[in-house]
Amino acid sequence: MRYFSNIWQAITTLLIGMRVTIVHFFKARKGIVTLQYPVERWPRPERNIGFSFDSYNVIRSRLHVDMDDCIGCLKCVRACPVDCIRIETFKVEKGVDIPEANHIGVTSQGTQKRLLVTRFDIDMTECCYCNLCTYPCPEECIYMVGGPNSSKHEIDYEFSEYDRNNIIYRFAKVPPEEVARRKAEKEMEKTAL
Amino acid sequence: MGVEHDHELGVIHAEEMVLNVGPQHPSTHGVLRLKVQTDGEIITKIDPYIGYLHRCFEKHCENVTYEQCIPYIDRCDYIASMNNDFGYAVTVEQLMGIEIPEKVEYIRVIVAELNRIASHLLAIGTIGLDVGAFTPFLYCFRDRERILDLFEMLCGARLLYNYIWVGGVSHDFPVGWVEKTYEFIDYFEPKIHEYNELLTYNKIFIERTADVGILPVDVAISYGVTGPNLRGSGLRWDLRRDDLYSIYDQFEFDIPVGTGAMGSVGDCWDRYYVRVREMEESAKIVRQALDQMPREGDVHATIPRKIRPPKGQIYKRTESPRGDLGFYIISDGSPIPFRIKLRSPAFTAVSCINEIARGWMLSDVMVILGSLDIVLGEIDR
Amino acid sequence: MVDFFLEKFSQISWLTGLPDGILFVLAVILIAIPIFLFLAVNALVVVYAERKISAFMQDRLGPMGQGAGLHAGKWGLLQTVADTVKLISKEDIIPAAVDKKLFISAPFIFFIGSFITFVALPFNQTIVAANFNIGIFYIVAVSSVGVIGIILAGYGSNNKWSLYGAMRSAAQIISYEIPVALSLLTVVMLVGSLQMQEIIKAQDGVIWGFLPHWFVFKNPFTFIAFFILFISGVAEVNRTPFDIPEAESELVAGFHTEYSGLRWAFFFLAEYANVFIVAGVASVVFLGGWQSPIPGFLEGSGWGLVWFLGKAIFLIFTMIWFRWTFPRLRTDQLMVMCWKYFIPIAFINIMGVGLWDLFVS
Repeated sequence: MRYFSNIWQAITTLLIGMRVTIVHFFKARKGIVTLQYPVERWPRPERNIGFSFDSYNVIRSRLHVDMDDCIGCLKCVRACPVDCIRIETFKVEKGVDIPEANHIGVTSQGTQKRLLVTRFDIDMTECCYCNLCTYPCPEECIYMVGGPNSSKHEIDYEFSEYDRNNIIYRFAKVPPEEVARRKAEKEMEKTAL
Repeated sequence: MGVEHDHELGVIHAEEMVLNVGPQHPSTHGVLRLKVQTDGEIITKIDPYIGYLHRCFEKHCENVTYEQCIPYIDRCDYIASMNNDFGYAVTVEQLMGIEIPEKVEYIRVIVAELNRIASHLLAIGTIGLDVGAFTPFLYCFRDRERILDLFEMLCGARLLYNYIWVGGVSHDFPVGWVEKTYEFIDYFEPKIHEYNELLTYNKIFIERTADVGILPVDVAISYGVTGPNLRGSGLRWDLRRDDLYSIYDQFEFDIPVGTGAMGSVGDCWDRYYVRVREMEESAKIVRQALDQMPREGDVHATIPRKIRPPKGQIYKRTESPRGDLGFYIISDGSPIPFRIKLRSPAFTAVSCINEIARGWMLSDVMVILGSLDIVLGEIDR
Repeated sequence: MVDFFLEKFSQISWLTGLPDGILFVLAVILIAIPIFLFLAVNALVVVYAERKISAFMQDRLGPMGQGAGLHAGKWGLLQTVADTVKLISKEDIIPAAVDKKLFISAPFIFFIGSFITFVALPFNQTIVAANFNIGIFYIVAVSSVGVIGIILAGYGSNNKWSLYGAMRSAAQIISYEIPVALSLLTVVMLVGSLQMQEIIKAQDGVIWGFLPHWFVFKNPFTFIAFFILFISGVAEVNRTPFDIPEAESELVAGFHTEYSGLRWAFFFLAEYANVFIVAGVASVVFLGGWQSPIPGFLEGSGWGLVWFLGKAIFLIFTMIWFRWTFPRLRTDQLMVMCWKYFIPIAFINIMGVGLWDLFVS
């Protein structure tokens, strides 16, 4: 008897399974979930594969630093779990004007800048995109672009590079002569002491 | 269970063949090497070799602070990442004695259960792939994409979230997330019916998985197997009921166990079916949590400025989709943990494969491995 | 068809001078080339259809041509052409430790096995490459030549996984020949002749006023025999749910693991030719071949070709549908299904067909 029930069970379950796939075949137009990249890029609000991205609360994309706002507090360096941010700073005297670095004035939030940031490197090969560096920044100058930050920088998630040296993002804008001069000054001060 | 291997078969000297089901698998479970000794097609011994994915996570955690550990913990079981964070956060909070607000508890439960659904969808899809059915795999992934879209709306990341922090969560829900989650749950519950029609009750699938790779309950307990693998063998043990850790006592849900409906108790079909039923139960929990959750509240209220637990040690376990995930944390009073050890449920599952796969054929090894649902990131850490 | 060509040659003056043997060979070559071209086009079309149909069943798009540069045509129509060009231009790798004679000859033997089965299929009232009077018998006999190719490929590859695949495949193909032969025997009993064109001609007319007199509708036992033939045919061709020899998730690619480039293209071509042959034989024997489904209408010579190809395409679609819906059976379960289920049912079919024909009609 099990013989015949096996045959019957086989026929019915296989036919039910075939019905599922053939229904999908005929409803193909509405059900397709493929996004034909790069012709159709995400997000694409008209096709219902996800949601509209203007209601994002947070985003993980390319890291960007507004150097004009950075005060060199090193909080992001301490927050990074993989130590991919490296910052070097120099103390500046009040009133010195360095054009390339926003004239050492005030940030957009009104804080007085007291440190000149001469090196701000983020090694993207080590970055794990955890977003932990963006939370402690007091000036909100380090952020991931797009989404809620799209007024500052539009979204960019296609940032692969052809050259390995371009993977290290160097944000500091101080010219190298200036850096060398300050380093030399510091050396002279040390030897003078 | 198996074939009694006997070399002296008259004058024919039959040798065993040693096969390497190598680190690069066609069946996607990660980099696992199985050294299989077979006599013709029947297996006589299997040795799993692990360690290809070892990333020294526990050593890393001894050098970074408690908050910075969370990205590392995400990456252990990368498929059910929220559940890892949940376990860690609950452990450290108990060590520090923090009470978290109700809204945060609800958010954590919703997110953890959604991730459980996503993880089980992947498990079901890959069992189908191992057996040769390509279509259910793609259907499961299509639905998993919708969960990942929900998570992306919530915290920006699809797979490794860094969302559940010690003392709270990193962000509140964005506008419209709750409605989208309701939509998803309404869309998802009929889909389980579709998976059942296509794969679960398919006669060929039943022939492949029923009565294969039977894991008896006493063997499972002696190896320390937990989670759906243990529940598939008939024992109704679930840490959300038996070792209560969050607000799980406020929800009504069943705990499915394997009953040997299509073969014996504890075979591959039972383990598979337990996962399918668990997805239904998780969907129920998410719906109840969304209904009961308070909409106002500050999720950042109890996040401590600096996490500096008192000196001591603690072991706490939570229910991840793979089983009983345990965290053992030794703290010496500084912001950097002294030792974090993660007790991985998939490690015990892969260690019992020799017991249950002996005597079956080579094609069955893939099915058994698929039904145990291992993730190498968790085994190797 | 050879007679057709020889007649045409006798009307061309400068050919009649050549000896008979050469004329014969010329005629045979003129027949073989279109068959080869048909097989090649068939492989292209069926592969494209399989990829698109499987994609729609899985809620995705399949090969598409979009974007700038060399793209694969609108809707991806040139995708298989691109694949063919790629396969032809690949490096011919022969691993050092293989048995060279076996390794090199295996794809050709496998291909020849399906090519020579092709010559007996009738496409039309007049187009059939060789109208044997033992047509069905010839097809069953000659379709086993492919097994030799598979065994040579698996054994000669010097690879444990290929050997596994080849042994499983040989056992499978040889076992499933029996239900195929037994199901074909039911039809031969009803017609009384082994010749393919006779079998098709015996299927004209109507049953019950509106159903065409195809053998699948004539008799409940031939109805069952059709399904047994079709499913055993799918098993003969090594397609899911019976594709254990090429089980992609267990043995990397079974017996053709070590082949690449043009050699692999031959295996591929022959596999899809086999798919067409199974569909063709099932449609000829049970579904009326080139007979029209609406008896009395649309029965010209051109329409015959359309009906035959249409029925074959419908059965190919069903094979593709099977492949993407079902998981695969284990080897011993395959054997159980053949020997314990199909063969007893096939024997009962033969008895039943005879008794039904004797007493009922």
